[in-house]
Amino acid sequence: MSRTPVYIICSPRPLVGKTLIARLLGEFLLLKNGTVAAFDINLKEPSLLEYLPGITETAEVDDTFGKMALMDRLIVNDAIAKVIDLGFHAFDEFFKMSEEIGFMKEAARRGVSPVILFVADTDRASAGGYAMLQQQIPATALVTIENEYVVRGELPSTMSDGRILRIAALPVFLKTYIDRLTFSFTDYLRHEKDSSTELHQWIRKNYFSFRELELNLILQRS
Amino acid sequence: MAKPVVIVVGADKGGVGKTTVARTLLDYFSANNIASRAFDTESPRGTLKRFHPDLTEIVDMTATSDQMKIFDTLNSVNPSVTVIDVRAGLLSPSLAALRDIGFLDAAKGGQITFAVFHILGPSIASLDEIAETANFMQGAKYFLVKNFINNTSFFEWDQATYNSYFHRIKDATELTIPKLNEMAYEQVEVASVPFLKFVANKGMKDEAANYSFVLRGYVRHWLANVWSEFDRIKLTDLVGSGKSGARGGEK
Repeated sequence: MSRTPVYIICSPRPLVGKTLIARLLGEFLLLKNGTVAAFDINLKEPSLLEYLPGITETAEVDDTFGKMALMDRLIVNDAIAKVIDLGFHAFDEFFKMSEEIGFMKEAARRGVSPVILFVADTDRASAGGYAMLQQQIPATALVTIENEYVVRGELPSTMSDGRILRIAALPVFLKTYIDRLTFSFTDYLRHEKDSSTELHQWIRKNYFSFRELELNLILQRS
Repeated sequence: MAKPVVIVVGADKGGVGKTTVARTLLDYFSANNIASRAFDTESPRGTLKRFHPDLTEIVDMTATSDQMKIFDTLNSVNPSVTVIDVRAGLLSPSLAALRDIGFLDAAKGGQITFAVFHILGPSIASLDEIAETANFMQGAKYFLVKNFINNTSFFEWDQATYNSYFHRIKDATELTIPKLNEMAYEQVEVASVPFLKFVANKGMKDEAANYSFVLRGYVRHWLANVWSEFDRIKLTDLVGSGKSGARGGEK
């Protein structure tokens, strides 16, 4: 049986582009697989739920009920890829709980492949958060997202050793365009006739990066 | 034949977690392949028996016939370890009874290994039990168990008070039972299975169960911490096994 990927997009910092990446990845997986389950633990920031209400449900890790509702879903090998938009306020609690309940080990045993997409920043909280993840997450499951809009080409050296996925910065007018709640990346690819536009290429490049990430997962398993 | 081992788990106060500790001990022995049996003194309905029905017998510690059932069989039964979960308020009377039947002298003489896990409550009155219990402890291994499972504090904020109680008996060994997530604890209660079976997602008869992965994770983590305390005090050495290595339950 194939393994079920669980993508956890996270950062201990607000406004670094977590929801944007969750949107992109969610739409990519929906396009490729026809199904995806997204969880929004990010209600204090721009919300994935508002962008992709059809595939997203809210979740929380503030109490044990919330943790059970979320983690008992994530640990199931049901061939439906999961995307978690993990808010900065829930970063510490989520990974503390994950370590305590042995999420990574149990996931490996059950045919679930968690992939931690850490959105990098240059501040101290990000450095500390990344160091904590390095202790807890196998290097093959930890991917640093270098969002050019946030790090401006200055990815900290400690984060540049492992796997890196780069997201290019968009001009402000395009960023405003994709930030509209009604905007869909896949719809844009489908309906925009001119494939040479900057946004078209940007979306295709990111989708290609996600496909590479998936292929790497498959290669690691084999 | 191995020297019989008797472990008494008790407190003079109720609700401090005696049965919880007794359950972790039985799970620990099971995981280390040490045969054990248990007596539950909460007559007529025992809590320990609910979780470990195959190992546990309910007895009335004040009845001579039941005292005979426990102590006259120490050398004749296969499990070398006997765990006795003493009902609230019966610890001191039970120890007095053991003294009266010559059991404590046998322990002092090295014929029996005797250990007491004294579960402490948060009040000064509860801590006063330590001095009282200590009078019976010659020849026994005495463990003072600070059970944090119900968010108890033990005067750590007042070092003088803390020292006056916890350092009163020089041969006593302190043991800490950490806090377990409340929902996880409740779920194990509802399931009425040993902690080990809960972690393994199994029912009482080893049938597949459907406990929450999160709650099982919390219990596994907590149980590992409790067992590391048992390893620290070299419990397997005490019971004459000395093999606290790879355990089935920690896989």
